[in-house]
Amino acid sequence: MSADPKKVMVIGGGIAGLTAAWELSKCGVAVDLVEKSDHLGGHAIQYCCKATEECRQCGACSVEKMLKNVVEAPNINVHCGVEVGRVARNGGFEVGLQASSVAAPAVAPGCDQRYESNPLACAAARKFSKNNAALDCGRAPADLTVDAIILASGFAPFDATRKGTYNYGKLPNVVTGLELERGVRANGRVLRPSDGQAPAKVAFIQCVGSRDERLGNLWCSHVCCPYALRVSELMKHHNPEIEITVFYMDIQNTGNNFPAFYEKCKQDLQFVRNIPVDVYPMENDRLRMRYTTESDGTPVDAEFDMVVLSIGIMPGLDNQRIATLLEIGLDADGFFQSAERFNRTATANNGIFLAGTVGGPKTIAASMAHAGQAAYEAMKYLGGAE
Amino acid sequence: MTDIKQTDMEEITIATDVLVIGGGLAGVRAAAEIADLGYKVTLAEKSAALGGSQQNPGALFGLSAEEQRTVADTIQAVSAHAQVDVLTQTRVAAFAGVSGDFTVTLATAGDVRQQKVGAVVVAADFTLQPLNAAYGLSLSDGVVSQSQLDALLADKAAEARLGGKVVAFLVGFGQEGNPLVMKRVMKSVAALAAIEGCTVYVYVNNIKVAADSLEKLYMEGRSKGAIYFKLTEAPHVSPDGKAITYRDLVVRQDVELNPDLIVVEEALVADAENRQLAELLRIDQDAWNFLQSDNVHRFPIQTNREGVFVVGASRGIQDLPAVWTDAENTAMAVKGFLGNGTKRVPKGKAVVDNGKCTFCLTCYRCCPHGAIYWVAESNKAIISPVACQTCGICASECPMDAIQIGGFSDIELKAEFLGNLAGGAPRIVAFCCQNSAFEAGQMAAQFKMTLPAGLQMVKVPCAGKVDLDYILTALAEGADGVLVLTCHEGNCKSERGNTYASWRVEDAQRMLVEAGYEKDRLRFATLASNMGKEFSTLLLDMEARIKELGLSPLKN
Repeated sequence: MSADPKKVMVIGGGIAGLTAAWELSKCGVAVDLVEKSDHLGGHAIQYCCKATEECRQCGACSVEKMLKNVVEAPNINVHCGVEVGRVARNGGFEVGLQASSVAAPAVAPGCDQRYESNPLACAAARKFSKNNAALDCGRAPADLTVDAIILASGFAPFDATRKGTYNYGKLPNVVTGLELERGVRANGRVLRPSDGQAPAKVAFIQCVGSRDERLGNLWCSHVCCPYALRVSELMKHHNPEIEITVFYMDIQNTGNNFPAFYEKCKQDLQFVRNIPVDVYPMENDRLRMRYTTESDGTPVDAEFDMVVLSIGIMPGLDNQRIATLLEIGLDADGFFQSAERFNRTATANNGIFLAGTVGGPKTIAASMAHAGQAAYEAMKYLGGAE
Repeated sequence: MTDIKQTDMEEITIATDVLVIGGGLAGVRAAAEIADLGYKVTLAEKSAALGGSQQNPGALFGLSAEEQRTVADTIQAVSAHAQVDVLTQTRVAAFAGVSGDFTVTLATAGDVRQQKVGAVVVAADFTLQPLNAAYGLSLSDGVVSQSQLDALLADKAAEARLGGKVVAFLVGFGQEGNPLVMKRVMKSVAALAAIEGCTVYVYVNNIKVAADSLEKLYMEGRSKGAIYFKLTEAPHVSPDGKAITYRDLVVRQDVELNPDLIVVEEALVADAENRQLAELLRIDQDAWNFLQSDNVHRFPIQTNREGVFVVGASRGIQDLPAVWTDAENTAMAVKGFLGNGTKRVPKGKAVVDNGKCTFCLTCYRCCPHGAIYWVAESNKAIISPVACQTCGICASECPMDAIQIGGFSDIELKAEFLGNLAGGAPRIVAFCCQNSAFEAGQMAAQFKMTLPAGLQMVKVPCAGKVDLDYILTALAEGADGVLVLTCHEGNCKSERGNTYASWRVEDAQRMLVEAGYEKDRLRFATLASNMGKEFSTLLLDMEARIKELGLSPLKN
């Protein structure tokens, strides 16, 4: 190894950023990992394990593992609670960091004594993972000098209030898929937000924000069918009596074993190929929806204890600012544009690489693979490093 | 029993040549990247030419002319690469050795050669399977497969032949399908719809659009006039292919269509020869004949054996950008594994006591990582420190107790759980896999979740290391309850460690019952590393049950 090891900045500490940082670190490259929130792991660290008796290959546990790898690696320097404010090219890159625009979550009182006092708040206060405990966030270091940049700033979950007729944010038992997963992670099972009771009847509405011509969102988010079906099967595992209806357009695959898994889902869940438009409040915080059956078009008026909006993957809210900073382009949807057809980590700016959902929707497994490729491309750019 | 220090290291020299099996695009890309890193690569392809068994990659992957040139250049570059030895019409005839020191026998028409390699990359191709039989159809002039349609569209006469015709596609009823299958359909739908007077109907089940740009491609076809009928049941097709009858969901009646041409979908499936390859290389397969077990610890390109990697269609159906991703991840993994040919490994990773070993080969058979071998002159089992992942399944299965795992020897583990039987009551010993339950337990403790006062967690490298003897000793020496906590089925880093653990718990439970004690003092459960809350719930439940049963009558 040379006396002056190469240095790479990874922007974003979600699963793609963690993976890229870890792969580079294994090759002897020093990494500055910049994360704007107060925790590593991004969205994926908030997802729950969806195993029943068997693992469903959702990949949520690999996020824990990668997070642990990164915080234990001596050559990865984590800067959390800060964001990139300035980038100048001079052979390598001169980077200025600034305080993050993301507010840290409020401290939940009581969590130091008893987690059970408020599981959701306590899990968030603990930054979702035991491996985040030692993070010291919010202190922007002096400028960084790096040889290459991997952009892994991730995605924004669809803002469900934009689909006003679902009354998300107004009715407590209308939740997003992300909130559902956070709940399972914190409580160990699905509970109704309004009363903390286990629901008996649950509906999933797929493609909320995705494949939506009216919103101009002409993409499938890849992850919503997998998480909806996996969490549904988990609920069924916890309570075989629960009734679950999945409203959908087209069901997307979960992995190689999808045909067998889907057969099981078809036995356990009710699939309705129809996306309801309105969610109405009922007594006891129950919810009412109207839809028509596919076979004969009969209108059905059904009540549920909980409605889950399967929100999708949207371009990061900061993408335009980052694109300007790094002098790289966005595609028509607002994700970062890759400069090559087959190698989707390449950007128009040599020395800057894309990893994970910055380039479009991906599952955890696909994000990790893409981030590994980005790390490899960065290594090639640095001339093999080591 | 020997006490082994994990800190002593030794240096082992390994082979650094690499074998790539399969000269399709994935194999070609992997070979090119690995050779660029300076390793010598043998690229073995069973057919006569590189580039894959598919005649028409342009249509298969929807490539533009420019992209097809990129692919052709890539293949050309590998053939010309000084570090790559390309062998066509070549198969793997035999495979022996351990990770870092494999001996491969390659058979090339009439010629057999043996070679030492440190790592192997498997790049099997997929196979195209027309699904006309699923619709009761035979291929004919009026009924063609997707591949036949691709060939038809590539012909300059396509426009004249298909103008003014009615074409119907049948998709997703003969198989579940995937985005690559769907992309082929959508590409040709868009091409047909652009032909003057050609009318296109697509009868489809789930439209698989979970890939880059597919939703837009779907829109493109429809904007050119193609009509998609989304059905959950296959339409009725007359055996001659002249009539398709389906239930129209809008007008709510049966409608008959008389197409000039029916295009039946094609499945993309794993190569049938994967089974033999898996046996030869001793790597696990999934239920669909792909060469990677369905296990998150393997993603993206790892297998159960160190130094054996899988790319592209070896492990699933993928589009070209994903193949590129696989190839580059593999090159990085190969570099990480081979390095410069010298590996530093812990000296006492797993040690066989030659005085005790009777060469029964139980360990060889149960090792999930193919890490155990022997040499003819000694007739004793040898554990490769390069290949071993220290799960300890062999140590617990060995009938002679001849194997010890560094850092987790019988003496060390027993000293840990016997010496520290915690103060609180009831005393509960939980053997926790370090990859899952131990992490969950740490999470529960750190998050201040409620846990039994008398809980003692014992970290094991894999639940497959938990001996029947540990369970019984813990109960005999003061534990009121014992749990063995491991990964979910399909999530064990050592594939079957959790299964071995469950068998041993069942055996121990039978022994307890036969001796007149309660079965519930012993429990097996599965957890993931992120299930802190479930860990807490499970342990409190166990504590409550032990309190009902009372303190253990087995205590001395």
